[in-house]
Amino acid sequence: MAEFVGIDLGTTLSGLAYLKADGNPEIVPNADGERLTPSVVYFDSHEDVKLVGSAARDGGDPERTIFQIKRYMDDPEHIVKIDGKDWAPSEISALILAKLKRDCSKIVGDITEVVITVPANFNELARKSTIAAAEMAGLKIRRLVNEPTAAAVYYAHTQGVQGRILVFDLGGGTLDTTILEVTGDNIRILTSEGSRHLGGSNMDDILLATYAEQYRKQVGAELYNDERQRRRALQASEDAKKMLSKLQRVSDTIGNDQSGLARIDLNRETFEKLIRSMVTRAVMLVEQAMDSAKLKVSDIDHVVLVGGSTRIPKVKQVLEKMFGKTPKTCGNVDECVALGAALFAKKSSRIQEVCNQSYGTLAMVYNAATGDESVQNSIVIPKNTAIPCSRTQMYITSEDNERIIEVDITQGEDTDPKFIDVIGRITLEVPPNRPKGCEVAVTFSYDENQRVRALVVDKQSGRSREVAVSYKGAGVLSDDELKRRSSFLKAMRIE
Amino acid sequence: MFKKVLESISKSLGKPTKPAPAPAAKDKAAPAAPPPPAAKGEAPKEKAPVKPVAKKSAEELCEIEPKMNKEQVRERLKMLYRRHNRAASSLDAKTREEADAMLDAIVQIREKFFGEI
Repeated sequence: MAEFVGIDLGTTLSGLAYLKADGNPEIVPNADGERLTPSVVYFDSHEDVKLVGSAARDGGDPERTIFQIKRYMDDPEHIVKIDGKDWAPSEISALILAKLKRDCSKIVGDITEVVITVPANFNELARKSTIAAAEMAGLKIRRLVNEPTAAAVYYAHTQGVQGRILVFDLGGGTLDTTILEVTGDNIRILTSEGSRHLGGSNMDDILLATYAEQYRKQVGAELYNDERQRRRALQASEDAKKMLSKLQRVSDTIGNDQSGLARIDLNRETFEKLIRSMVTRAVMLVEQAMDSAKLKVSDIDHVVLVGGSTRIPKVKQVLEKMFGKTPKTCGNVDECVALGAALFAKKSSRIQEVCNQSYGTLAMVYNAATGDESVQNSIVIPKNTAIPCSRTQMYITSEDNERIIEVDITQGEDTDPKFIDVIGRITLEVPPNRPKGCEVAVTFSYDENQRVRALVVDKQSGRSREVAVSYKGAGVLSDDELKRRSSFLKAMRIE
Repeated sequence: MFKKVLESISKSLGKPTKPAPAPAAKDKAAPAAPPPPAAKGEAPKEKAPVKPVAKKSAEELCEIEPKMNKEQVRERLKMLYRRHNRAASSLDAKTREEADAMLDAIVQIREKFFGEI
């Protein structure tokens, strides 16, 4: 049995690694002999089989092929309809995880408990969906860990470095930046910031638009008219992007059966112009991380690149210019997250993590000096607080004879309620006939497993209520539903 | 200096709030309250004719004033980027969409004031 297993459930590629007896992690290939499995699922129309990986990506009908499902893990309205059945994003992800579990178990023995990596900025619903996917695939989650944290653990393990490390993780769908400090065998995360929809596939989309425009100019027709043609063109643009990381220019012939072929010429300079806005956003995220950790660029000892999109020369150049040092990689940028996750499974007690989000409540805040008052998100635990932690804020009731105290539970660091999520509410019944202004203590606790608890104490009556803070809104499967879908998946043929 | 009064958004906006249910035996956080549906039987309001809306410039979206110096613009962009980057991961789809548009505007302003990357 493999005791310490890590899975990188990526937007474009997924991988599983386990910790060998010598304490070093190793990628476990799938049954197709590949070290990484494309995160693609194909629903065959002739046989009752779900294909996962390269076979799914390369062969089938695009209308029955699901790409990049990770992008929708927090979208309750995103449903995939195949043959009259509705598939939630967590179920599609479960098929990918089930393939990894089944294939890799044949090599390393039973896999039951795993660490799964998620982007640093995954919200509550996306994290819950990932946990649900694992459960449906018959895996117990030991921990969810942020992708850049896992990569940093691997980098520190293999390079034996000390000091402050900035991990820049530009993957297929997201960008994560984490700053951590390594002292001896101990790792302390200082901050983790993430950006959604900022990854290689966004660059592919931009290139595809350029291809389509050039084709239209030359041929006077559309490059693609259906999903199959669009997929082919997208694959060509992705290949061109990869080539432009090695060459200064590429030429491609592209087209479709109806309108013929066109020759597309593209150089690196043009590509860099096309992705400039994305690179600027990436730099702003790095600046935000530096700001959150209250560090200057000179405080960073190592810059580490993770994720396939960091192969783009412009990305390396920008970071080198910013930090005045050459960014490093830890072997294969596509594999280090899974490898780090396997190490994390063993070493988690030596890794000091931080809260991924701020937690608080909505309160009417009066500024006695200015007389201003407004409803604000009043933060109790700020983001990046070292965990485990517990924080308390005092509030007062707003009305006379208030019988029910309502405490909204918020997630997000902005003071403006428009920019945060309300993920729950605690209600506490209190005695009658009390004037307004009674003190209420609100305490949030955050444990190592990223579980949050909220405690509300009415000071006068001593009444209290404690709850597990857990998003239960749209998109979260009930326990019964989860059980039902798990059994359904268990009986399924997945290749 | 600050007095913090527990107050839900719905109360602060003067909307009637339903009394909260009595505490259940087994404590669990309740789901966030969904927005109230339109009252049944209420006649649908006639839609106002669609007027063309002037598209806001990046400066207007980011509230960048001509009198602001570079440092003020930098601070403003920093705050806006943090806000809208977080909002791009909101549980609310509309907030996410607006955040994406704002992030584009923020990048435009940054390039205008501080040059291209």
